[in-house]
Amino acid sequence: MSNIENTVPDSLLDFDDDDPLGATSVSKKSLVIFFMIDTSASMRGKKMGQLNTVMEELIPEIRRVGEADTDVKIAVLTFSTDVKWMYSAPVSIEEFEWARLEASGVTSMGAAFEEISSRMSRNSFLNSPSLSFAPVIFLMTDGYPSDDYKKGLKTLQANSWYKFGLKAALGIGDEANDDVLAEFTGSPDTVVHAYTGSQLAQMIKIVAVTASQIGSKSMTLSDESNKELSEEDVFAAKQKLLGQQIQELVSQDENNTVSFDTGW
Amino acid sequence: MLELKIGQEVDLEFGGKAKVTGIIGSGGQGVVYLVEFNGMQWALKWYDIDKIRKPEEFRKNIQNNIADGAPSNRFLWPKYLTKVLPDGSFGYLMELKPDSFDSFVDILNTYKLVIDPMTGRATKKTVRFSTLYAMVTSVINIVNAFRQLHRAGKSYQDLNDGGFFINVDTGAVLVCDCDNIAPEGSNFGIGGKPGYMAPEVVRGIAKPDVQTDKYSLAVVLFKLLFRGDPMEGEKVVKDVCLTEISELKHYGQNALFVYDPNDTSNRPVRGIHDNVIKFWRLYPDYIKNAFIRSFTEGITDPNKRIIENEWQSLFIRLRSEIIMCGCGRTNFTSMFEKPDDKTYRCPKCGMKFATIGFSNSDTRVPLYLGRKFYECEINPDCDDFLNVAGELVENKLRPGVLGIKNCSEKSWKVKMPDGIFYDISPGKGCPIWKELEIDFGGIIAKI
Repeated sequence: MSNIENTVPDSLLDFDDDDPLGATSVSKKSLVIFFMIDTSASMRGKKMGQLNTVMEELIPEIRRVGEADTDVKIAVLTFSTDVKWMYSAPVSIEEFEWARLEASGVTSMGAAFEEISSRMSRNSFLNSPSLSFAPVIFLMTDGYPSDDYKKGLKTLQANSWYKFGLKAALGIGDEANDDVLAEFTGSPDTVVHAYTGSQLAQMIKIVAVTASQIGSKSMTLSDESNKELSEEDVFAAKQKLLGQQIQELVSQDENNTVSFDTGW
Repeated sequence: MLELKIGQEVDLEFGGKAKVTGIIGSGGQGVVYLVEFNGMQWALKWYDIDKIRKPEEFRKNIQNNIADGAPSNRFLWPKYLTKVLPDGSFGYLMELKPDSFDSFVDILNTYKLVIDPMTGRATKKTVRFSTLYAMVTSVINIVNAFRQLHRAGKSYQDLNDGGFFINVDTGAVLVCDCDNIAPEGSNFGIGGKPGYMAPEVVRGIAKPDVQTDKYSLAVVLFKLLFRGDPMEGEKVVKDVCLTEISELKHYGQNALFVYDPNDTSNRPVRGIHDNVIKFWRLYPDYIKNAFIRSFTEGITDPNKRIIENEWQSLFIRLRSEIIMCGCGRTNFTSMFEKPDDKTYRCPKCGMKFATIGFSNSDTRVPLYLGRKFYECEINPDCDDFLNVAGELVENKLRPGVLGIKNCSEKSWKVKMPDGIFYDISPGKGCPIWKELEIDFGGIIAKI
């Protein structure tokens, strides 16, 4: 009897933790979506009201975007005279609640670039122990920076999370400068502009949904050939894809789009 | 893309209109709407036509699939195409999944979000298999569905965790998103989902086909059993940030299985891949070896990948080796002690289980109250893994006496303690004794 006991491998005796159904959630890759939002005085009134409402509605809509593979978190940085985080750390999209923003002060975009750069680090907001996707960074502004944005942008551009991240920007109204925004995203393709409230809602949705889906949804093949892809072929492929998809969506939206024989 | 609005009506190809009543979800190629047609509710998949490379061929392919019909009733197959709108967009109708089915994504997450229709607030509800039997049955069902599809000469091309619904109580499976299914050799532009694509597709040197389906199927099965990514271990996590270049490396050029026996550099990491570490030790070697083959030789040589009928017999065997012990412990025989060749013993409570051997197999399967035998186990020509042919029950008139009840449609010949073989007709049974022999008519089982 005792003989048999002695031959039992240890693995069989750990029966407290051997239930084949006792799984925890599958290990996920984490993705942080950064929203950088201009809350300077010029945003006050309708613009801020619309933005608040769109964001409140958007969050539940993209709640399941990560499916089983990705743990999506949200971090919101606002900038006016000061820069301020909505919450002290990125919050899981399933628990995220939008805190309505108010507008006042000037447009310290450069300070915002420096702040986000300091947080995009393994020791700060991007401290998930598991694997991370490069973050999505979405900038929204209605004006020209009132500080030295180039200095802040230079700091940000040296951050490797920024380099590999997906960047997109939305200019709101006539004052926003698309050239500055393209400097931030690295390409004019990922900059969109909204002149009306309904465009604002549409553009925020297009950019946020498209950016958060790239990499986690089934993809179409990029070309017809059967040529082996090299590192250069895939470098920044997602940023290019984001630019293409945003441009397609935006151009459709412009020559809008209710066909003459539908909607009757 | 042209989004549809609630209340909008869409013309179907052969007449009738489908009226949009809600949104079900969105995917890489478009949006799925809830619609009403002919007084019934349906799902309408509506394409983002810019994401379809050759829309006309793509549509023609769906048309052909509709005409061919589904390989079996396990597919939520396209039923009706819509007309094409002037901007080129179109969609197709399919049946809705029944409420009793959960998405595979929710099973992997271990919960689903239930939205309160009044407040819009989401609450978490646990999703898990109610029995190990149901889980292994679902694996057999998934494998069998792809076997049927491949036997029909088609490939799925975009096999991933979004492609199934599963009933966690029964293990029943419905395969959805059937719109990229195409005849062998054709591809209409779909690449697949990161993490599920075969390495040669990631590298750009092959298009999805039956061989890449086999790879993706192995990933799906690995995720279902081991609850983790077969290629994500120490080597991958070291990269910290998963860029396009590291994806090409870790899922394409240098994909390395976490339990590659010849290279330990990508083992699962405790604290991140705890599921994989825990479950890998529970499974018998023949299951682990099948995954090792799929994800070592099978990475570079598609011909070495496991074929669906191989998976099917492996998992039918695995299901027959589940022991539900009286103490509440349910596990595979690989996790029970084996005091002698013919007995298993529960390491927790000490209960012993006799076994029975079948003439067509080298292995012996455990016997316990409630144990079921399926047609495929007692009939060599049969593929039926769902219909119960026999069950181990307690005699209703003589409590404590266990026997095997004939639930099949054929008579068995059974050796009783007097040494004589008797006919046991359907609905009858025979007691278990130490020299029991059952001749099922081809296969013979002996205690």
